[in-house]
Amino acid sequence: MECCGPGYSSPSEAIKAPREKLLYTIAIYTGTGIQKPDYLATVDIDPHSETYSQVIHRLEMPGIGDELHHMGWNACSSCFDDGSMSRKYLLLPGVRSNNIHIVDTATNPRAPSLHKVISGADIKSKTNLSGPHTVHCLGSEIIISMLGDAKGEAPGGYLHLNKDFEIEGRWENSMGDIKFGYDFWYQPRHNIMVSSEWAAPNTFMPGFDLEEVGHLKYGREIHFWDFEKKEPIETMYLGEDGLLPLEVKFHHDPDSSHGFCGAALSSNVIHWWKDNAGKWQWEKIIDVANEPHPEWPLPVPGVMSAILISMDDKYLYLNNWLHGDMRQYDISDPHNPILTGQVWMGGLLGKAPIVNGVKMAGGPQMFQLSLDGKRLYVTTSLFSTWDNQFYPEIREQGGVMVMIDCDPINGGMSLNEDFIVDFGKEPNGPSRCHEARYPGGDCTSDIWL
Amino acid sequence: MRTITIANRDGETFEVNSKRPILETLRDQGVDLPFGCKYGGCITCAAKLISGKVDQNRQVALNNRQINDGYIILCVARPLTDITIEIGVESHGNLYRNPFLDPLKPHELKADIATPKEV
Repeated sequence: MECCGPGYSSPSEAIKAPREKLLYTIAIYTGTGIQKPDYLATVDIDPHSETYSQVIHRLEMPGIGDELHHMGWNACSSCFDDGSMSRKYLLLPGVRSNNIHIVDTATNPRAPSLHKVISGADIKSKTNLSGPHTVHCLGSEIIISMLGDAKGEAPGGYLHLNKDFEIEGRWENSMGDIKFGYDFWYQPRHNIMVSSEWAAPNTFMPGFDLEEVGHLKYGREIHFWDFEKKEPIETMYLGEDGLLPLEVKFHHDPDSSHGFCGAALSSNVIHWWKDNAGKWQWEKIIDVANEPHPEWPLPVPGVMSAILISMDDKYLYLNNWLHGDMRQYDISDPHNPILTGQVWMGGLLGKAPIVNGVKMAGGPQMFQLSLDGKRLYVTTSLFSTWDNQFYPEIREQGGVMVMIDCDPINGGMSLNEDFIVDFGKEPNGPSRCHEARYPGGDCTSDIWL
Repeated sequence: MRTITIANRDGETFEVNSKRPILETLRDQGVDLPFGCKYGGCITCAAKLISGKVDQNRQVALNNRQINDGYIILCVARPLTDITIEIGVESHGNLYRNPFLDPLKPHELKADIATPKEV
């Protein structure tokens, strides 16, 4: 189907899109000791190009100390029927500074430029919110989860921007009894949004005190929202199975009610769905066991900080940041996932300390999959203060981006030996890369109406 | 007015207004310092107090072990006396701790959840 708006008419059309040639990832200096702004790096991922596997452009933010983290587009396939919209701007929130940077990626995709900054102070004074995290658009509206109030206390709320990037105010009508915020995803045909829980900004920003989990300063619930009414309607208490429930993803198929959440500290995947009676159900479908460490008094959890669903809804990808492995599961039957691939890169268990000649600091962290499901780009830094606790050597070595070749037909994954981007060799010193996106939309950006 | 000495900047000294946060007064005088949230919650601007006293009641980022190790949060801390500090990431040696390798004791947690030290 041809139309005039951004994105694709359906997930199956998205899979047929041309191969990605450019990739954007944020890179941080916040918390590294290098007094330079965080930046948006353009990476050349066209294997026929002379600068393949290199950073070809760096767009510095105007200030220092933002801690860029996640990003989102101004428009996605939810605007496919709207010829007045285009996927032109990438929004880059600073978790610490609260500033939201609007970057024009369309005028020159290889060298994006800064279009506008929404000041963190303005957001605080108009909405009493701070700690921006996940960015989603729906139609021409932009919604950003904000993890705290202006003083960094939970639960925060949702910032609503219009298509001209003006602050409309708070998106939600009520936060109900929700204790914390983090990620969210919606499935409009079921009028449902699901949100997850990290912690208050003034809890997670200084670093991770494991003991605070027991004091209920970190989340263990996910929340189901009436999307049109903009208010929570049901909470799932995950308990010990769902400590730090971070990323939430629905199937891309807009008719599906199935979705998944990675509980980072429990290192479990939680699956939810709507049963035949119309009731939301959940179950634990993947449990990554803690691993003993020869020198530590406590066993090491995987720390599954991200999950991703392939565009055909067949595979779920997850990371174990502290163990050091990326995994691929066949979720054709979402109740019974099958492990079909695993790659080791970095981590604390010593399984793959060097990858493609680069000594790794950190473990697999954020990842982005090509629309056709064949290439998975993986970065190694989580969050500056948490990096500093678990992988202090990352200060000198910086982050790394690798590529994993994935088999979308038979399953399986293997490290690509021709691709590696070493952010330890950046011109201003070692930086750390985190989330990645492609200009045309990717496997974690688009929602279909 | 108070005098702030920065030990790891060749002992350079600055006269500052004691009613204003140290981060603000030092930056006004050209000292390049890391910072993030500016409300005492994110630890980016942590520095180490070598001598003297500060009021940092508004900080919520540090646990009691970090406070006992001398860390202060410059975006909210105000000098109560003349002070000597170390700034920047070079001063962060004990600030970050692997929680699986080196757990906190109950009295070392953040003030709102710490229990008194047993003697």
